[in-house]
Amino acid sequence: MITQPGIATPARAGTSVNGVTGNVALRRRPPMRRTLRRRLRLLAVLLIGLVLALPLFYLVSASLMSDSQLTTYPPALLPSPLHFSNYSAAWRYLTPRSVLNSVIFTASVVALQWSLCVSGGLVLAKMRFRLRNLFIAIYGITFFVPFITVLVPTFIVTDKLHMINSYPGLIVPVVAQTAFGTLIFRQFIVNLPEELVDAAKVDGAGWWTVLVRVIVPLSKPMTGAYVAISVLTAWNMYVWPLIATSKPSLQVLTEALAPLASSEYATVPQTVGMAASVIATIPMLIAFLIAQRAFVRGLAGTGLE
Amino acid sequence: MAIVAQSRMLVGRQKRSRVGGSANWANRDRRVALTMLAPNFILFSIFVGVPVVGGLLLSFFNWGLVGWPHWVGLANYRQLFHDPTVPAAIVNTLLFVAFGVVPTVVIGLLLAVFMNIRAPGIGAIRVLYFVPWAVSFAASAVLWQWIYHPETGLLDYLLALVGINGPAWLSNTTLALPALDVIGIWLTLPVSIILYLAALQRIPETTLEAATLDGAGAYRRLVHIIWPSVRPMTVLVAIVAFLGFTNGSFDLVNIMTQGGPVNATTTLIYYTYYVAFDNVQLGYAATLAIVQLGIVVVFLSLALAAQRVANR
Repeated sequence: MITQPGIATPARAGTSVNGVTGNVALRRRPPMRRTLRRRLRLLAVLLIGLVLALPLFYLVSASLMSDSQLTTYPPALLPSPLHFSNYSAAWRYLTPRSVLNSVIFTASVVALQWSLCVSGGLVLAKMRFRLRNLFIAIYGITFFVPFITVLVPTFIVTDKLHMINSYPGLIVPVVAQTAFGTLIFRQFIVNLPEELVDAAKVDGAGWWTVLVRVIVPLSKPMTGAYVAISVLTAWNMYVWPLIATSKPSLQVLTEALAPLASSEYATVPQTVGMAASVIATIPMLIAFLIAQRAFVRGLAGTGLE
Repeated sequence: MAIVAQSRMLVGRQKRSRVGGSANWANRDRRVALTMLAPNFILFSIFVGVPVVGGLLLSFFNWGLVGWPHWVGLANYRQLFHDPTVPAAIVNTLLFVAFGVVPTVVIGLLLAVFMNIRAPGIGAIRVLYFVPWAVSFAASAVLWQWIYHPETGLLDYLLALVGINGPAWLSNTTLALPALDVIGIWLTLPVSIILYLAALQRIPETTLEAATLDGAGAYRRLVHIIWPSVRPMTVLVAIVAFLGFTNGSFDLVNIMTQGGPVNATTTLIYYTYYVAFDNVQLGYAATLAIVQLGIVVVFLSLALAAQRVANR
């Protein structure tokens, strides 16, 4: 339910190096053997990676099979011939509307939440006012409350505001989960030099100008990581859209997709379900491949290249 | 992956900047600060603050969404002890988390160590490990439903090749929960690997080389050099995986098994959802959610205690 990214103080990695003592005999390997070992290891890394990615290859492959080919025994690994008709059928179940809804949902959640978080982060990082630490504490307290604890009350609040089954009801309660984004941007902005803000203020800039002209441009790396992970989270979000909407016209992709997963009762051919999964996943896969560094940095903090 | 941030905040020590100087100086930016924070904090209060407080209060009421909530004192908490699904759901939650978190941490570390080499093309190969991260629970449910299919599924076919008669994974009361765990592990491993790689890359290469020259084999390097260096990261990975599996269990269970067969995959979070939105017992659901909160608090306290030991 929460769409915050993952950057903050990197966990400290211990650096103690203990225990390798004793065996002093130098066993230098000949360079040739070392290179060979390296190649073998690289090959093994590649093979394990292929095994882990295999379910995804299978997903794409199965999405192009005919129904009878998918249910043959032994299972076929590659489609022949290619059944692109699965995709047009899947498109009818997913509907352009749910794709559009997913795009609207993801874009507005990320954009609105980002602007709240970067401005809130500036307030809590650089501005001087009483109660600042109280605000920081309030945001911090909600960190680890499991989503199920607040799910029902959030639903009630949204319902009482007559926002269930509307775009605002779908979007705003998710946007409002600002605790992490705000504190993460605060953490980033705290570490920006004070002089940058002071210089702008000497030039007569107010805090809003500082926000737009100084803080936002300087927060670009943070924003990239934040956007990458928030987009992924929002696109794949399932629970809140499930609860907040019941009208087909408000359905997002994950909801349209979920009924296709149950093989026991489904009236939809599984190949079509596979094609639908591919359609739902491909935008994120492409985004992931393009912005892989932002994703990884968002997760691991700096230091992983 | 919000949980990574959450966990990081918990694990990392927060630096508190002090507001110093005279009273006026300390309150210099009050007006603009409150204005700029207002949209953020007001929305946050309505949709997070009110629900957090409301969730605690709601557990003392009975409510079916129509009319007014009805005060029942501790009746909901007493009901916990008479509801046979509760112990089953708690056990399922703990099993699901244990069978999910432990492999995610161990396999994640081993794979990260294994792929932490410099070689041409290694970046592209790592992407193979990372891509499941981009897949949603919903899409992976469609895929794995088919892999687990009892008659024509890929998994049972592969088992048949080595002479094992594969079971019907998702309709077997013993195997359904671990089968869901495997999907969760597949989806969470990228996160574990990335975090461990980040920790591993802080170990100076010369240290490992020196150890190799001293004749330390792979096992001894792992135990004596790598493990002490990544121990603090392990706490973070464990917390991330824990929160991922407790929360993520809902998506998988709701899409794939709906708690079945015979409640074998009814986790606490799924049961809470069921009580709230199928039975419309919102008060009792809030009580169940507080049990979940209790489990999270206990685990996090343990993890933080472990971290204190790890940092010593």
